[in-house]
Amino acid sequence: MTRRKFLKTAAAGIALGIAGSPSFSFAKEEYDLAAISGEPAAATKKALEALGGISRFVKKGQRVVLKPNMSFARTPEFSATTHPMVVATLAQACMEAGAQQVLVLDHTLQRAELCLERTGIRDACKTLSGVHVLALQERKFFGEIKIPQGKVLERVEVFREILDGHVLINIPVAKSHSATGVSLGLKGLMGLIWDRESFHSQYNINQAIADLATVVKPQLTILDATRALASGGPGGPGEVKKPNLIIAGVDPIAVDSYGVSIVPWYGQSFKGRQVEHLLISHQRGLGKIDLEQLKIFKEKV
Amino acid sequence: MRTFIQALSLLLFSVFFIFATYKLPNWLPADIYLRLDPLLGLNAVFAAREIIGRVLWALVTIGATLVVGRFFCAYVCPMGASIDFLDFLFFRKKKRLGLKAEASFRRAKYFLLVIFIVAALTGLSLAFLMDPMALLTRFYTFFIYPLVITVINLCLDLLRPLFQALGWVSLSHLHYFQSVYYMTAITLLIFGGIIALNRLVPRFWCRYLCPLGALLSLISPLGLFKRRVNEDCNECLKCQKTCPMGAVTDDPRGTRLPECIQCRTCAKVCPQKAITFPASPSLGGEYSKVDFSRRGFVYSLAGGLGAGFLAMQTPFALKQSKHQLIRPPGAIPETEFLRTCIRCGECMKSCLTNTLQPCFWEAGFSGLWTPKMDPRLAPCDQNCYVCGKVCPTQAIRSLSLEEKTHAKVGTAILRKEMCLVWAENKICLICDEICPYNAIVFRPVEGYRRPVVIASKCNGCGFCEQRCPVKGDSAIVVVPNGEIRLKEGSYIKEAKKLELDFKPDPGDDKFILEESGFKVEDSKKGEGSFTPKEKPQPQKNQPNKPKGFL
Repeated sequence: MTRRKFLKTAAAGIALGIAGSPSFSFAKEEYDLAAISGEPAAATKKALEALGGISRFVKKGQRVVLKPNMSFARTPEFSATTHPMVVATLAQACMEAGAQQVLVLDHTLQRAELCLERTGIRDACKTLSGVHVLALQERKFFGEIKIPQGKVLERVEVFREILDGHVLINIPVAKSHSATGVSLGLKGLMGLIWDRESFHSQYNINQAIADLATVVKPQLTILDATRALASGGPGGPGEVKKPNLIIAGVDPIAVDSYGVSIVPWYGQSFKGRQVEHLLISHQRGLGKIDLEQLKIFKEKV
Repeated sequence: MRTFIQALSLLLFSVFFIFATYKLPNWLPADIYLRLDPLLGLNAVFAAREIIGRVLWALVTIGATLVVGRFFCAYVCPMGASIDFLDFLFFRKKKRLGLKAEASFRRAKYFLLVIFIVAALTGLSLAFLMDPMALLTRFYTFFIYPLVITVINLCLDLLRPLFQALGWVSLSHLHYFQSVYYMTAITLLIFGGIIALNRLVPRFWCRYLCPLGALLSLISPLGLFKRRVNEDCNECLKCQKTCPMGAVTDDPRGTRLPECIQCRTCAKVCPQKAITFPASPSLGGEYSKVDFSRRGFVYSLAGGLGAGFLAMQTPFALKQSKHQLIRPPGAIPETEFLRTCIRCGECMKSCLTNTLQPCFWEAGFSGLWTPKMDPRLAPCDQNCYVCGKVCPTQAIRSLSLEEKTHAKVGTAILRKEMCLVWAENKICLICDEICPYNAIVFRPVEGYRRPVVIASKCNGCGFCEQRCPVKGDSAIVVVPNGEIRLKEGSYIKEAKKLELDFKPDPGDDKFILEESGFKVEDSKKGEGSFTPKEKPQPQKNQPNKPKGFL
């Protein structure tokens, strides 16, 4: 190999790397968040578009895990679970981007079958080929990961799919939560683990959520705030507000922080910084929490 | 032909059994075999002292037996089919040990029948012990059903790597809910024992023990079809040796009519083709009598009375009104419930969550095998109301979902000394989170938000007890206090009268803020016996914030 050839190849490689890495691709990186108001399906599509399209996150042949909140056997109007149209729209987009398969997963709190039935998520995804809606309740479907930066958790058991290189997209619903204030994206990640109870009984739940967030990092978070359960969360029933928003972003804390600001929770307005698990996670360098620092794309569809 | 019908009947029984899940359509009587059983019917009607609608189905069996004879045992009875099948499997080539003094053994079933009927008259439901339908349904529920699930799951686990390699996503994540029951081993022993008896004599159970067979044999001589042997008979005695019921007398021309189950095995094996089963309206003859000694009758009468008496002579009887068990929603008042329940196990099979479990001695002798809820194991799901739907005697009433929701089974109580929030100031809210009726709210006590049960909103479903993360016994338990047990009438009305409200409605969480959640006067701090030692941390200077907000 001549020196010239080597340099050429190297340059070409670097150029490819720059072009290929999303952080340098123009226009796509412009916004930290997309906050789109509108109907669930249309707003979801628009939000993806605003962030540079689903192909930025899902490449051909990849396997995708969607993590909606379908923990409760409640119909969508209770706002305790992610809107089925958001899930279906996203799942379809993933398949259209060339995903090999899409798994819609949750470790539900209530009985799996009823959750799948009542939330309408299984029904909404029924016609999509390659999309599988599963509520896994057996330990054999979980595998252990270490949490090197864990403050209270050293290890945690999560869905095996999370461990073996699936793309993870978190699609939480916006709701209040009587232990953590709000339950948005970060709290929603608890639906991926086996032993949720210990978060309540053994550990400081806010620290544990931050610990979990250091190892389980969704590539994309899409917060379904088409409805928001402003009180009575997480299971409801409670006061359901209609912000009609879909909030999407790569930074999970930024998404959640924006989510905190959109409605008053328990009748009182809060900022992201006032939510303990968000603040802790932010302080541990997991994302931005102050909305002033964020570039937000807002639109109505 | 007979084998085919038998297999079909067993299959039908199994299919009905499989259908008994929370998805059971209203028109499908999954408990039909139990309804058709006249012994269970008689037992329930006598013990409960009233006519039970579903039991009237048994008249079909009685009517058919009056017309045809004791065909039920040979063609319909799934227990008989199981015995025949397993007999073929295990003992086909074995030489039977035989039984001396056959005739006196034969009486045993009549004595048992009398004991059961008399016990029922005293108000003790006992026939379930030996009724074939109840026995087999229990065996299916407590043994076959969990076993099948285990085997299926094992196979799935075994094949999982293959499914994964093939990319069959649904199959590679498939797992069936494994039901578990307390009495599986006992059930297996009983059933195994019944089968093992065949080593002595074929259909030992049906010949000597089955009280349902005894009941049917009382009326079977009235049936139209009777075995007749014509003059071609050369007394080879082949029929006598092969008759599974031992119904052929020493003279092969005679038939013990009560014992004949119309299986026609004799006609098939007769080398002379001398045996037919023509329709003849004549009444029996010398062998149509049930051989039953007066002494035996008196003894079994006494036995029945004695059993009834002994069942009442335990402290359980007096404590029935103060019983400690959580019964399924819609269970009629305890005394009537114990009398009416035939312990078939159908409710426990169909139970969506597996919370219904058989009692062993918890309710005394008279409560053996009755269903109880075990909320620590599983809750009663608010969307399911199948237990009443499948109850053949309506000891658990068949209710609409709305009615069932109001059929309160008990009330949750918080054991503060064990509760993580009350005793240790931990941030736990699982009971509140999971409660389908918002019956658990958080109230500020000693500077900290703590869970409290609102009894009037709790219908005892047990979600809180099951989910409580405390190890061992739950810190929140369902007790029967406040249960609504109605023999008739509407639970909704009753609940209204008692000012109960089980609608899942917006909780009063808002009062976390309105009542200034965390601000508690200093003077009140330290009150009560469960004062936490360390100071509550999270609400340092912002008294007005709900949990989780800073």
